[in-house]
Amino acid sequence: MFRYRPEVAWVYLFKLLPYLKVTLFYMAGALAIGIVFGAGLAMMKLGKNRPLRYFAVGYTAVMRSLPPIILIFLIYHGVPLLARRLWQVNISGLDTVYFVILALGLSSVATLSEIMKSAYLSVSGGQYEAAVSNGFTPFQAFRRIMFPQALRVSIPNLGNALVILMKEGSLGYTVGLIDIMGRANLLNSTAYGNDIYEIFFTLAAIYWLASVLIDRSFRFLENKLSLERRIRLKEAGLIAANPQGGITREP
Amino acid sequence: MLELSGVGKSFGKNEILRDVNLKVAAGDVIAILGPSGSGKTTLLRCINFLEIADQGTMVLEDRTIQLPRAKKSEVAFVRQKTSFVFQNYNLFNNKTALENVTEGLIYGRKIPAKTAKEIGRKALEKVGMADRSDFYPSQLSGGQQQRVGIARAIAGNPDVILFDEPTSALDPELIGEVLSIMKKLAQEGTTMIVVTHEMSFAQSVATKAIFMDGGVILEEGEPHEFFVRPRHERTKQFLRSILYEMEYTI
Repeated sequence: MFRYRPEVAWVYLFKLLPYLKVTLFYMAGALAIGIVFGAGLAMMKLGKNRPLRYFAVGYTAVMRSLPPIILIFLIYHGVPLLARRLWQVNISGLDTVYFVILALGLSSVATLSEIMKSAYLSVSGGQYEAAVSNGFTPFQAFRRIMFPQALRVSIPNLGNALVILMKEGSLGYTVGLIDIMGRANLLNSTAYGNDIYEIFFTLAAIYWLASVLIDRSFRFLENKLSLERRIRLKEAGLIAANPQGGITREP
Repeated sequence: MLELSGVGKSFGKNEILRDVNLKVAAGDVIAILGPSGSGKTTLLRCINFLEIADQGTMVLEDRTIQLPRAKKSEVAFVRQKTSFVFQNYNLFNNKTALENVTEGLIYGRKIPAKTAKEIGRKALEKVGMADRSDFYPSQLSGGQQQRVGIARAIAGNPDVILFDEPTSALDPELIGEVLSIMKKLAQEGTTMIVVTHEMSFAQSVATKAIFMDGGVILEEGEPHEFFVRPRHERTKQFLRSILYEMEYTI
């Protein structure tokens, strides 16, 4: 029989919310790993060095086909074993969240490198040539011309990747991570399954709200960086300076 | 002023340039003609190190540079002394027309931003784009974009400007505005190497015409001679096909 008591759900909301920071923490950690090493991997994919390129493409292919839960299990159980064998250190006492971050990070490296690569390729290569021909160093050409345009292109995909990261991380409860998912699971056991709808609908609502927030903020960022916005601002400035004149757009 | 000798370039097994020699004196306007795939663009790109030649040397001002083994400083030197106008304009899409001109001055030539802006405005004025200096490339027509491209090329006051089919991507009615600017530059004594399919431009503006085919320079000469009395059979054939096409379109 379906029974849903809003007042009970309300209580659970406040029991779950504090654990959102664990969720946010693994998202931030995995994203950081993904951005740093993903940029490296993207460079390998775009570069001329063949072994590095093959490595990067191979890594991405393997990661893309790997269910995140396998990665989480492998890292959580495998890394402490490896650490003991190789360096005789015991890291099994380390907080579970770090293992989850490593696992999610490893897979987001692949995802983010793909996003960065395609964003870079979306900016026409001729602009890079024009920049170096104008005396830019390759780094300056990247920094001033290619990167700002690629960043703008990549933002919607980055938002999507972050939402996926958030959801994949919920699997961390299988290795004992107490994030909002893990907490909900505990609460459910404590209530002997009597409050299942109140708990899990509330949990779903939190995830939903978080993904909406991520989506909105990335859209805001995209708009903030967009060329259209800069053109509008510039036009507004011009029009203010010259009230009668206005500005004519070329086709 | 600029002298190329023995320039060779292959892409894999494809030989694009073979032992190309070219002498450019100050004030020269050299039109490079030839069918597509003849290596004209590659030659131009090798001069600017957008492509690295396999063989050949370049003498520019007082420096002799081995093209396949150019040092970074030599590449930078050549890029200061030459500039490139691209077929597809290749303007920086995230920069305004003025910034497109000034960025290279500021970052490539270390000119202070304020001075660069002045130079940039003058360059835009020269190509008739002063009133569009705050526009982004996406707000400009192809012809206007190419004019900004030319402004960017002249701003650094290079010895030689390299034009790579500057009107090939333009709508027919926009070609004129770009050609007239190039003509003006030529009349002012700007040294230019122009890869082009615009025969009338080559005939009326160039001081020297070069015909390339199969990666070699087949014929070169004073434009009038070149167009009226081509020596090489292949040149005749090429001119015939081009001129026929011109008559045909009229």
